[in-house]
Amino acid sequence: MKYICSICGYVYDEEAEGVPFDSLPDDWTCPGCGAEKAMFDPQEESGTGLAGSFERHVSGVATMTKLTPAILSIVFSNLARGSGKQYQGEEERLYGEISSYFSSICDGEEADLGMLQTLVAEDLAQRFPAALESAQERGDRGALRARLWAEKVSRIVSSLLSRYGREGEAMLEGRQVWVCSVCGFIHIGDDAPGMCPVCKVPGWKFDSVS
Amino acid sequence: MERKAVRNLRLCTKDCLCLYVCPTGASDTEDSVIDVDRCIGCGQCADACPSGAISLVPVKYPRQQEKDEDVVSSLMDLAASRARQEAIAEAVGESGDREGLRRLALAIARSSRISAEDLVREAGFMLPQSDGAIDLLRSLVENPPVSFPVESARRLVSLLERRR
Repeated sequence: MKYICSICGYVYDEEAEGVPFDSLPDDWTCPGCGAEKAMFDPQEESGTGLAGSFERHVSGVATMTKLTPAILSIVFSNLARGSGKQYQGEEERLYGEISSYFSSICDGEEADLGMLQTLVAEDLAQRFPAALESAQERGDRGALRARLWAEKVSRIVSSLLSRYGREGEAMLEGRQVWVCSVCGFIHIGDDAPGMCPVCKVPGWKFDSVS
Repeated sequence: MERKAVRNLRLCTKDCLCLYVCPTGASDTEDSVIDVDRCIGCGQCADACPSGAISLVPVKYPRQQEKDEDVVSSLMDLAASRARQEAIAEAVGESGDREGLRRLALAIARSSRISAEDLVREAGFMLPQSDGAIDLLRSLVENPPVSFPVESARRLVSLLERRR
């Protein structure tokens, strides 16, 4: 039997490895991207079961009707980035200033790790399937692409949070935390990975968090 | 179509052939960023560059592909959730004395922002000089929330209008 990583696509072949997937220790992580065991799915089942999850979840997703300060901060920081890519320095600065303004008027959030985990889990169970359904229905490949990258990144976030819950500070001691500046994938290790397992950009596109 | 040359600093190996061929000196700058005010878009530099570091981009970009309402709202739902995650992760990163958790939380905050930006890009806010972006800025200038930087937004609209 083969198991496939839902983030980077690494295949664990029980036959080749000689060790049943279930017998791997709980702290075993994906050699491709560092995700925990729980992020693997049996390969045979890939592609099934999704339709059912739409039916269950889509109706429960709230639709956002207005641009909140939090969303506006994102919209404008993204436009600042787009200006920077076009070498428009003044536009980049002005868009950045407007983004910072909206960040400053957002409602504050509590430092609540449990709430963070809940939101990530809700995204994976409800909002990502809903977005998949609408993007597939319209054949919007750009939306499918952004949604897929974001979903994989949410999986690694979920995986890292649950690993931190089990391993605590030992998980990060003496190791660097790297973030892909293109898709947001997070990698723990001495060096950045050679290539981002989600969006495939080269390692120099990663920044370490100090 | 009017174009301008841009240089990818990661690819540039300083062979300097662009300097030899540029008729206006636009590619010879102290910060290696091609001077767009001098560039006439002739493309000589891109042809001459042995490392493929220079490309020509249009001054005016086409409209973004039309987006369906349902697609936009489902992407915006995700972006809103990621925005909340960023704020929570930032608060976690700033509180407490656990060094590892601090770095992990700040990485999650940064990751959430990057992801959310990508989602809003696909929800219609891809291009800084698009109609949608300019209209949004205009509506904020007309009905500004308290202490909104109106003058900056006005200046931005005038800059973007030139490239609309």
